[in-house]
Amino acid sequence: MAGLELSTLPQQLVNGILLGSIYALIALGYTMVYGVLKLINFAHGEVFMIGAYAALFASWGLGYTPNNAMSGSNPINLLIMLLASMTLCGLLGVLIERFAYRPMRNQPRIASLITAIGVSLLLQYGGQLFLPSSPAPNIDAKVNPYQDNITIPLRPVDGTLVAAAKQLEAKQIETKTAFDGYLERTKESPFQLSAAGQPFKKAAQDAERDLRTAEGKAEASGLSIRLPKGQMIMLVTTVVLMALLNFLVMHTKPGRAMRAASHDFDAASLMGINVNSTITFTFLIGSALAGAGAMMNATFLSGTKIDTFFGMLPGVKAFVAAVLGGIGNIPGAVLGGILMGLAETLVVWAGYDSYRDAIAFIVLIIVLLFKPGGLLGSNKVEKV
Amino acid sequence: MSVCLKLTEATIKFGGLVAVNKVSFELKQGDLFGLIGPNGAGKTTCFNIITGVYKPTSGEIEFNGKLIGGTPSNKIANLGIARTFQNIRLFKSLTVIENVVVGGFLRHKTGLFGAMAYLPAQIRETEKLRAEAMELLKIVDLADMASARSADLSYGMQRRLEIARALATQPKLLLLDEPAAGMNPQEKEELNVMVRRIRDQFQLTVLLIEHDMRFVMSLCERILVLDAGTEIASGPPDAIRNDPKVIAAYLGQPA
Amino acid sequence: MKFWLGRTGSILLAFALCAGIQLLADQQSDFVQRLIVLAGLYVTLAVSLNLINGITGQFSMGHAAFYQIGAYTAGFIAMKFYAGAKLPPELWMILSLLTGAAVASVAGLIVGLPSLRLKGDYLAIVTLGFGEIIRIIVQNQPAIGGAYGLSVAPRFEMIWLVWLLAILCIAVCRNLLKTAHGLQFLAVREDEVASSAMGVNVTRTKVTAFLLGSAFAGAAGALLAHFEGFVSPKMFTMDVSFIIVTMVVLGGTGSITGATLAAIGLFFLPEKMRDLPNFPLGNLVATGIGIVIMVIGFRHIAANFHGKMVERVLRYLAILAIAVVIALVLGPIVSKLPTLGVPVEGAKLRMVVFAVTLIVLMLLRPQGIFAHHEFSWAWLRKVLRIDTDKKVTA
Ligand SMILES: Nc1ncnc2c1ncn2[C@@H]1O[C@H](COP(=O)(O)OP(=O)(O)O)[C@@H](O)[C@H]1O
Ligand SMILES: [Mg+2]
Repeated sequence: MAGLELSTLPQQLVNGILLGSIYALIALGYTMVYGVLKLINFAHGEVFMIGAYAALFASWGLGYTPNNAMSGSNPINLLIMLLASMTLCGLLGVLIERFAYRPMRNQPRIASLITAIGVSLLLQYGGQLFLPSSPAPNIDAKVNPYQDNITIPLRPVDGTLVAAAKQLEAKQIETKTAFDGYLERTKESPFQLSAAGQPFKKAAQDAERDLRTAEGKAEASGLSIRLPKGQMIMLVTTVVLMALLNFLVMHTKPGRAMRAASHDFDAASLMGINVNSTITFTFLIGSALAGAGAMMNATFLSGTKIDTFFGMLPGVKAFVAAVLGGIGNIPGAVLGGILMGLAETLVVWAGYDSYRDAIAFIVLIIVLLFKPGGLLGSNKVEKV
Repeated sequence: MSVCLKLTEATIKFGGLVAVNKVSFELKQGDLFGLIGPNGAGKTTCFNIITGVYKPTSGEIEFNGKLIGGTPSNKIANLGIARTFQNIRLFKSLTVIENVVVGGFLRHKTGLFGAMAYLPAQIRETEKLRAEAMELLKIVDLADMASARSADLSYGMQRRLEIARALATQPKLLLLDEPAAGMNPQEKEELNVMVRRIRDQFQLTVLLIEHDMRFVMSLCERILVLDAGTEIASGPPDAIRNDPKVIAAYLGQPA
Repeated sequence: MKFWLGRTGSILLAFALCAGIQLLADQQSDFVQRLIVLAGLYVTLAVSLNLINGITGQFSMGHAAFYQIGAYTAGFIAMKFYAGAKLPPELWMILSLLTGAAVASVAGLIVGLPSLRLKGDYLAIVTLGFGEIIRIIVQNQPAIGGAYGLSVAPRFEMIWLVWLLAILCIAVCRNLLKTAHGLQFLAVREDEVASSAMGVNVTRTKVTAFLLGSAFAGAAGALLAHFEGFVSPKMFTMDVSFIIVTMVVLGGTGSITGATLAAIGLFFLPEKMRDLPNFPLGNLVATGIGIVIMVIGFRHIAANFHGKMVERVLRYLAILAIAVVIALVLGPIVSKLPTLGVPVEGAKLRMVVFAVTLIVLMLLRPQGIFAHHEFSWAWLRKVLRIDTDKKVTA
């Protein structure tokens, strides 16, 4: 085990929550659709993928193309990208529902599930024909105006260790200048040294290594949490979007219709609720949230490579998050998303990096076997 | 006559709801016993705890001298209790005769591997079960529908098919959950005759839930009335008919 | 006596058929041979999954995992024991097949356990999860090659055995359904509560279905390993499970005939795409529009036209013709547009065509091509007599 380095734990917890907030945004779409239609919308991950592309194209449209060196950016750019992504995803979700799921509504659920898989495969592989995917592009980090970190110190660094490191610095500079001087004099290449040069090189390297070790020690003696500003904005946006969703679902007419439909689909339609427009609304909102998640994932976790399979794993993990929280339950999806994010970062932290994608399924199986209704859901017994 | 089924203070709770509350009764071999009560009184739930769908929270259920509370459904079927369902639960996409063959399958003696190889013993057994099923279909007057899909039958036919399927298990005790629901008066009359006939022919004990008072009163020899999970009366039809508590329960007035 | 004569006859016939396939395949190129083998393996996979999904109604989406376990088991025992065993290849292959089947069925037992508590799409997603976990675990075992894969020596090209396994799998499922034993599987699919009230041991039935289904998939895996001479986790991703599930559902849930034919069809369809030439994007768009018109038209006819069979078929043909003409005419026209003129690699269309077929077929015939029917001469006669009114009037 690489190391259960307790000092890095707080930072990992923060990272987990940040990652989890993206899963939560995707999970909301799964949960809302499942709540109303009892359908696992397999194509939801692909909607997320299209959202990332929408953000990418928006950033290109704003001038942040790979071969165009831009300097600086502003929040308006981010907002444009967010809106582009949410709009496109919302539309895509509505289209998918209208043309792939609605015709299947009176069929066995398995048939809809297969159609959903079909749509998902179509977007993944069909996307390859139209979208740039090899080499996988990424959004230029410069579009994000908030590059710096907020650092929260938890424990100050040990002064004596810092002083010790400082002392080594002089030695390092001295040996390095000596080596550079030697190279200058002899015009030798550092990679093809003659025997005379070797001691210089070794001295420089040793001093360098000692310095870095001491610096590392000094740094590790202190404890701080690094909060990239961009990701903080991501978290705030997520919270705002969720508050909006909560308002929409609890206090507006379409929201009430949605709750009624997910409580009892047939009764709702008997009570005069327009089920079709309620479902359209559900897909619109759920997909737009996935779009928001995609834009923020691709922008703020900088360097994220986008290809047409980009949505697969986050999609699966978010689905697990929805089940974990209790599928059909909106606060449950948020809780589940955060827990999934935490679980994943903790697995990596514990040194099982290669199992980071398996953990989602392990959590899923445990939940379903022992609390099939999820954490916030209820366990229903079939009435006979 | 020996005791066939005996419930002693049988109780089941779903969360806060006490669906069946300390219900006790006794069925003798050959009885035709009726269980009545308003909707939601807990009648179907009684069937469910007798047939092992749910485990009773407390109390005892005894069948032929054996405690069966909490035993899995399929074991109970093997012990000799068969049932029909209020909300018909046929094997919808199977044919009529296949439904009945499934009922008879618990008496199979040949192995699964032989069936995969389609050996003579399994072929003979399947033929025998089909022949027996055909006989039962004649009894419930469905013989000419044998190869129809069971979902395509009319409502009354589906109810009769459920009875045939239950009989195929060769039970000693037959539980019928609202067998006459959705039938017209003539069908009900035929059902009345049929239930008596199969009771006599197969020497069954029958426990029956029904809403139609006239039907129960003319068919059953003894009746127990449930309301909100509790027994409020029991006895022969005439006594029940005039019991003020029963009338109140049915008319929805406080007794 | 007559029974055993007939039985021996059909077994001999099966062997003769497989020998015939082998002889035919021997004439072909390596590429075609590989296709014949993979098609046979997919038939086994689809028919065995049909036992779990279609016949017993336990929606499992992790079938690739059993295939993988069979393949790795075969690869592993070949690596450890083949050199020492000195067995003739046929015997070794049969042993390896049985071992693969046994190990896969143990996994099938484990994966089947959740089916005792979960239903429908929950079970689907858990089995999918199990499949992925197994793949990720294998990927992290350096002893069996990790992510790089494991080479399997020796390579055997027993095409006859592949098809013998497929025929065996079909025969086992068909036999089961012809006896009362098979009915209990169907009963569990239809209604668990009612089956159990009729004395069917639901638990045992479900677990049996998983055991049998996964054993056949494991055996198929063992054959794959020795045919390819190499196995790697990449050969058993979620997509493979999806493809097998699709074969089952498209064939008609529960229909063995359907699963078999869909396996062959769906396997060859994408393979054919590999040698498609490049063409302008506009043609693709036009074809898409044609397909949409066809689907809308077909659905309209199915919902609104109740006349004679012949008239109905004529209408379908008319819509089809319109769709094809529109696609053909529109293609060159829209390709003139600058953005739609760019060429598309035909080979990239493989999975796209697969996905579109899947969606279109589900929209037009959600019960699957064969629905719950099985091929038999009696059924064929009935269909050919064209009775539009199949419903039994009560
Ligand atoms: N599985 C269950 N979970 C919760 N409540 C149940 C369940 N089954 C039955 N009930 C409740 O128990 C009560 C009795 O139901 P039931 O036995 O079906 O009534 P009836 O007398 O009409 O057959 C009802 O209030 C019903 O809602
Ligand atoms: Mg009832």
